[in-house]
Amino acid sequence: MNLLEKLRSLEKTQKAAEKGPVFTECLVRTEKRPAGAFPDQSFITRDALGLIRSQDLPLPGDPVRILYLDTETTGLRSGAGTVAFEVGCGHMEPHGFVLNQYVMRDYPEEPFLLEKVREEIEKCDLIVTFNGKTFDLPLLQTRFLMNRVSAACLDRPHLDLLHAGRRLWKRRLEKCTLSNLEAEILGQPRCDDLPGSEAPARYFAFLKTGNFGLLEDVLRHNAQDVASMCMLLGKMCRLYAQPEQIGFSEDLFSMGDALEKEELRIQARRIYRMVPRGRLHGQARARLAHSFRRFGSPGEARDVWLEMIESREGGILPFVELAKYYEHTEPDLEKALEMTEKALAVLSEDWPGRDSGTVQKSVNALQYRHMRLRKKLAAAGTCRDPKERQGD
Amino acid sequence: MNVDQLVDVLRSDPGFMEQVVRWEEIPAREARYAPFPARLDQRLIPVLEKRGIHRLYTHQARAIEEVLEDRDVVVVTPTASGKTMCYNLPVLSAILQNPDARALYLFPTKALSADQVSELYDMIQLTGADIKTFTYDGDTPGTARKAVRQAGHVVVTNPDMLHSGILPHHTKWVKLFENLRYIIIDEIHTYRGVFGSNLANVLRRLLRLCEFYGSHPRFILCSATIANPRELAETLTGRTVTLIDDNGAPVGRRHFVFYNPPVYNQQLQLRQSVISTTRDIAGMLLRNGVQSITFARSRLVVEVLTRYLKDMVRDPLGNAGRVRGYRGGYLPTQRREIEQGLRAGRIDAVISTNALELGIDIGSLDACVLCGYPGTIASAWQQAGRAGRRQTSSIIFYVASSAPVDQYIVTHPDYFLRKSPENALLNPDNLYILMSHFKCAAYELPFADGDTFGNAPSPDMLLTYLSEEHILRHVGGRYHWMAEDFPASDFGLRSGAEENFVIVDITDPAHHVVIGEMDRFTVPMLLHENAIYMHEGVQYQVEKLDLEHCKAFIRHVEVDYYTDADLNVSLSLLDVEERQDLPDSMHLCLGEVKVSTLVTKFKKIKLDTRENVGFGFVRLPEMDMHTTAMWWRLPDTLIRSFSNDTLENGLMGVSNLLRIVSPLYLMCAPLDVVVVYQVKSPITDGPSLILYDSFPGGMGLASKAYRMQRLLLEKCLDIVRSCRCPQGCPSCVGPVMEVGEDGKAAAVRILTCLLDMLTA
Repeated sequence: MNLLEKLRSLEKTQKAAEKGPVFTECLVRTEKRPAGAFPDQSFITRDALGLIRSQDLPLPGDPVRILYLDTETTGLRSGAGTVAFEVGCGHMEPHGFVLNQYVMRDYPEEPFLLEKVREEIEKCDLIVTFNGKTFDLPLLQTRFLMNRVSAACLDRPHLDLLHAGRRLWKRRLEKCTLSNLEAEILGQPRCDDLPGSEAPARYFAFLKTGNFGLLEDVLRHNAQDVASMCMLLGKMCRLYAQPEQIGFSEDLFSMGDALEKEELRIQARRIYRMVPRGRLHGQARARLAHSFRRFGSPGEARDVWLEMIESREGGILPFVELAKYYEHTEPDLEKALEMTEKALAVLSEDWPGRDSGTVQKSVNALQYRHMRLRKKLAAAGTCRDPKERQGD
Repeated sequence: MNVDQLVDVLRSDPGFMEQVVRWEEIPAREARYAPFPARLDQRLIPVLEKRGIHRLYTHQARAIEEVLEDRDVVVVTPTASGKTMCYNLPVLSAILQNPDARALYLFPTKALSADQVSELYDMIQLTGADIKTFTYDGDTPGTARKAVRQAGHVVVTNPDMLHSGILPHHTKWVKLFENLRYIIIDEIHTYRGVFGSNLANVLRRLLRLCEFYGSHPRFILCSATIANPRELAETLTGRTVTLIDDNGAPVGRRHFVFYNPPVYNQQLQLRQSVISTTRDIAGMLLRNGVQSITFARSRLVVEVLTRYLKDMVRDPLGNAGRVRGYRGGYLPTQRREIEQGLRAGRIDAVISTNALELGIDIGSLDACVLCGYPGTIASAWQQAGRAGRRQTSSIIFYVASSAPVDQYIVTHPDYFLRKSPENALLNPDNLYILMSHFKCAAYELPFADGDTFGNAPSPDMLLTYLSEEHILRHVGGRYHWMAEDFPASDFGLRSGAEENFVIVDITDPAHHVVIGEMDRFTVPMLLHENAIYMHEGVQYQVEKLDLEHCKAFIRHVEVDYYTDADLNVSLSLLDVEERQDLPDSMHLCLGEVKVSTLVTKFKKIKLDTRENVGFGFVRLPEMDMHTTAMWWRLPDTLIRSFSNDTLENGLMGVSNLLRIVSPLYLMCAPLDVVVVYQVKSPITDGPSLILYDSFPGGMGLASKAYRMQRLLLEKCLDIVRSCRCPQGCPSCVGPVMEVGEDGKAAAVRILTCLLDMLTA
């Protein structure tokens, strides 16, 4: 039967719209988990959160009331027709973790679900999500709008653990998905989990059959997600509070980087200094010096560069930076010239992974600097005799 | 040499004049002005005066007045008549008076948006107001999108982006939807057929959302000259629209020369090729320093002509650069550079496909050469309109090819000159198209019981259908989307077929490259296994056609032949919608048919000599399409009066004529409608002529043909009677070799008989 025929047969049998059931609330399911399952909660303080995300977290004093929020939706692409059929809202109480799961058992329950979510949000100082910045919160915003409900509650401070987690662990971990962080960071690999991508199909199957059992896996998955966020935040705050416990130089370096991005310079410098000798040590030093140079402590930057030269780290970078420093800041043109020449000498060496194109660019820049310095020196009347340099 | 001097030279050249079938002079037209409308924000007047505009043309003033009176308008604007003022001024006026007001500009192509935005920018700069104009299309960087959504007073986009990028995400565009005052759609004549039907539905969706957000935007539409601009505008928008077609812009005298290349073989009616004739005429213009544009129908011909003309002026000084080609497939920057070169007068000749037919600003040129008939009167006038200075004379040459339509136009210049341009046809209620958009609409905002969808028929039926398919869930008086799909990504706007094949070049095994795509109905013809597929002049052989995953894998080859597949088409009847019975078993019907296509064989044809050098077999499943058809079943007495052969020749002749005539009257591309004849039709059980839409679900072409069938038959008869060929030629029933010596006479008899029966 083609489409047209189907439509025609429908036309004949079209029934008057049925009077359906009346909807007055959404399903609420509450679960408590003992506090013992959530270590490190005491580290979640205003100060620690301020380190993770300082700029747009205007938080009141401790304790911070945090809402852990995760949605299950009818589609994986967000758009006006994608609906959150379940919202998991968790928060910590003195005796344990309380998780409220709000489920709409059919579309007309959506306004009631949204009302519950709004109440949850309004009770908190901070929303914590995993990928909520691009997915959950805009989706809720859309849902509020579509139901003509004010979405003002969503303006609350928000911390997206996906981004915070990526900042901290991207150098070490291949992927920073929630389940991977659970396994690698919390040491709790998930098993028997329903992939989140199957949630929409489960929900539609439930709508068609009325068999709520189909949703149990989805709810379990969602509960796990929400609880994991809470554990992850505890762990993260603890690491920020006790960076000396970080066992990976990648993570330390990343933390320094993250703090710098939050413009927490003092803290960032402290972390960079903690990066142990090894692969990232030089890079951390370079960042440290850069931070000093950029924010008014050129002398300290100079010292770091000199240390780098001492420990033969950073290639030509410390020489070039020192050349700039001696030319413009101190100023000591002779030393600047010396550093430029040393940088050129380093470049003339052969080393593994040497890319002649990049090298040539640096050489050109250095030679230009060299020329300019010599001109300046000549103008100042203190230039070394050019003949003296012919043996170089 | 100026155009007037050129005209004198040509008129005194008997060799040239011998081939001129008609030399039409279109007199100059004086400008007519009107003062600035009183309701226009007065801050705009000094802005206009700074640009040297002290008054408006009558059509501009009237358009602005109507818009400011809160009416929807369509402005019919010839090239270079200042149409952008008709919409930019009311829009700027509204935003100046209410900084929250928003406007949405829709252009059919990205190139056009770029052009119009720069003009609007200039105006805004002069006002000094903080009015933000943004382009939102596939090229808009992700980082800029948020700003566009929040702050853009004027959002410039195209229907495709509106369809898949804006409407499904309308909640991110609250500011725009809540405050939308004007929707500007330029070049609406391009929105006919499938594309137009899609746009009409996109607009239904847009207006539905505006209602949700509480705005009631007005439309300002612009069209090139077509027969039914108001009908088109009203079908597209579903609103009552005021027509403004009283053009007040001046234009100099124009010469329209109909040129038929000389016949060199009388018996076969073979004429000198249109390409070499065009080359001669464009070359003559180039040598005489007359700035010109030449329009060719295919990209290949554009390239060939460009090459010829460049060679003509090539010298060490780089004069070949005075000649440029222009077509789809060039990079945007190169296109911009050519457009600018034309405006600045650095380019003397440009050869283009219809890509330059649209309102891209290239200024006005002295001369235009049409290499063949572009397919519609509207198009031909659009192209001709590229030549036309405001003060001085300009000249247009129409060079006919030996194609039947071309010959018809050149031998009937009045058909072209006197007849109004075509109707632009679209069918927003085409079930395939409507259903696709209806799904999108349901995704964007749930339908409630009793809701309408523009003026679409029976939305309840569609809703019930989608509910039964479990795509929507009917509960609590509303229909909720209950599928994982994102319906707007399931189809594009520019073709009826929802599935596209990607063409993958596997020449380099390590690096497969997608080089193009093709709609599924064309695939069996051009992408069957072993076909030679041509892409940008490069030959590839199809190695594998993966029907399941919609992919064709091709490999670069260099061979001296191309392939042409034999397509077997069979028709079967699904349903009769309307039937008219006449005496003698004659009847005419409109109905639904199933068109089954099967490619079984392909020919290999040598590139240079066009000899047939072999064939191969194609193994592909049959493809079905349900569409709308109309058909005539011939009366018994007429059938009995012919021998079998003569009957077939006559039917072939009439179908040829219908193929020529129907695109002209249905305003569609020749490939949009198919005409076939069957000596013993399985549909009617007798000799029949059948016309059907080549789009799934039908595009309303056959039903329009059904309504205008007398006119179509009369025009066929006109053509065949006025054709001076003795026994048939490509311009009427087809060449003698095809229709036989009795074909022409038989066709006349069939047509006369059908018309008599219809009149009786």
